[in-house]
Amino acid sequence: MTSASAAGPRRSLYWSVQARRNRGIRGLAVVVAGFLALYAALFPGLLTLAGFAKFSQTWFPLALTGMAQAMLMLAGGISLSMGATVSLGAVVAASVMAGSLGVAGGIAAVVATGLLVGAATGFIAVRLRLPAIIVTLAGSFIVGGAALLVLPRPGGSVPPWLSDLLAGSTPTAFALLVVVMLLWKLYAATPLGLSLYAAGENPVGAHRSGVPVEAALICAYAISGTLAALAGLFVAAQTGSGDPVIGQAFTLNSIAAAVLGGVGFLGGQGTMRGAVMGSLLLTAMINVMFFLGLPPVAQYIAQGLIIVGAVALPQVAERLRRPRKRRST
Amino acid sequence: MTVRDRHRAMLPGRPAAGLAVLSRNRPFLTLLIVAAVWLVASATSRGFGSWGHLRYLVELAAVIGIVGAGQTLVMIGGGIDLSVGAILTVTAVGLPLLSSGADPSGIVAILGILGLASLIGAVNGAGVVYLRVHPMIMTLATATFLQGALILLAGGSAVTVHNPAVYLLGNARPLGVPAGVVLWAVVALATVAVLRWSRFGARVYALGANPLATALSGVNVPATSVALYAASGLAAGLAGILALGMNGQGYVGIGDPYVLTSIAAVVLGGTSILGGLGGYAGTVPGAVLLVTISGLITVVNASPGWRSILFGSLILVLLLVSGREVPRR
Repeated sequence: MTSASAAGPRRSLYWSVQARRNRGIRGLAVVVAGFLALYAALFPGLLTLAGFAKFSQTWFPLALTGMAQAMLMLAGGISLSMGATVSLGAVVAASVMAGSLGVAGGIAAVVATGLLVGAATGFIAVRLRLPAIIVTLAGSFIVGGAALLVLPRPGGSVPPWLSDLLAGSTPTAFALLVVVMLLWKLYAATPLGLSLYAAGENPVGAHRSGVPVEAALICAYAISGTLAALAGLFVAAQTGSGDPVIGQAFTLNSIAAAVLGGVGFLGGQGTMRGAVMGSLLLTAMINVMFFLGLPPVAQYIAQGLIIVGAVALPQVAERLRRPRKRRST
Repeated sequence: MTVRDRHRAMLPGRPAAGLAVLSRNRPFLTLLIVAAVWLVASATSRGFGSWGHLRYLVELAAVIGIVGAGQTLVMIGGGIDLSVGAILTVTAVGLPLLSSGADPSGIVAILGILGLASLIGAVNGAGVVYLRVHPMIMTLATATFLQGALILLAGGSAVTVHNPAVYLLGNARPLGVPAGVVLWAVVALATVAVLRWSRFGARVYALGANPLATALSGVNVPATSVALYAASGLAAGLAGILALGMNGQGYVGIGDPYVLTSIAAVVLGGTSILGGLGGYAGTVPGAVLLVTISGLITVVNASPGWRSILFGSLILVLLLVSGREVPRR
């Protein structure tokens, strides 16, 4: 920190804050690196461009939904309708793109759907003061039902060139993820983005200091819905068609990704980079288990154990550290 | 209405008196909604109001209500149990495998599987208290783990039960009342008694209202939490046996619907998702209400998509009527 002070007080403050925020995810980074190294050792193809592209494609939708979930959790909310929104995005994309509106119309429809679903959820949870868990629980039925209305059974189609662009052998997905993260950086610097953390950490205090708490929360829900619907579009491009129940697993996995990344349930704690890293850990873990030839059954068991382990380890380590510190003072 | 009045009306051990207090009593309000829905439905749809149909609805509600007993305890204690569906499935699939010739009445198998269900619940509680994993993550991870274990156990096919005690529970009708409803009544009485008149119940409310103050007042928080989640596992196990008896078959996925419905029943009944407030008296009409709604939706001959949308919207509307979160302090 002393070496950075030469660059001016403002900059040193920024970097020291960033360093402190990074400290929480250092352990996670080590685990992620370990899994990636193991994966690369098992499957050297990961280091080729095509292998990397395929890996980033399995990662991308989970990273998007993990970010969407983390955004809500940072603001003190949560969404249990994440999976349903992904499904809805997938069926809207596949059915609109198969029609006369084409790809541009399809993307616009997906974004509009996600924004609408998210904003409506946010409005109900925030303005009508209902607990977010219950609203999104009921919302998962409504959104899932809407997905079934759009396409009662898997169908529709995504143009092959789009599938090839997004899910082919070029790392477009990774580039898109970088763009999304840069957009998050920008958003976090706007007043609404800054309000997000404040609203999550201490809603009453933030409100009294003039932070637009309700607007920040509703915006977070809207953006989160959009990200989830876009993840659905990507999944539709991957599979080439729309499936009304394809997103189900994302509800659990998005929460797991955010929590693995150190995002707390109470709001205001954690970082977006942590959530993205958490989604990377989950993806690498699932891929490694697949390559080890574990049956799907063992994958479930291992996933349950690893999630608990990864969440519990920092807590246990913290508790082992604390008494030692107390003794030294 | 001040918050203090609200607390007074909700706290255990304070009998409500007078119309003014009654109108604020959430269990009573939920009961009123159920009565209104039943009256309107029997006036408009033929056959709804028949004794046989109403009895069938209550019988269906018994499973949700029994799962909801554990869920109510956990939620009053400030947690949430998302593994009840998986535990229910484990008992429904595991019990037929346990039954053997040396156990003609089937009671030993039932006790064994209930022990297993409580043990799984206790593991949840231990993870929450000792590993400091958030209840939502801990129980979701347990559910994921059990999902894998189940496939190992049953191989994915349905198993038929030949246990006489289970058959009796699912089909006997002493004095015209289904045995499941009798079991529900016993569970309900036990839950209300524990919450209102036992020291354990008082500790549960304290734990949900303020865990730190509870720990500082000398309550054994780890033991209380483990017992709480074990009780939820036991309740889910009982519900699993009942569902098995009613179905005659156990299959993977039999418990899935009960995660959301048990939480919805608890919240509709006025128990706060933040913990510390509420009681089982509201969960009972909450469970009946949910079953009634799904029954009505099946009567309205709609597509699965519309049915799902209707179900979600009705839950939201009911929550707006009766489930508003009381702001604390």
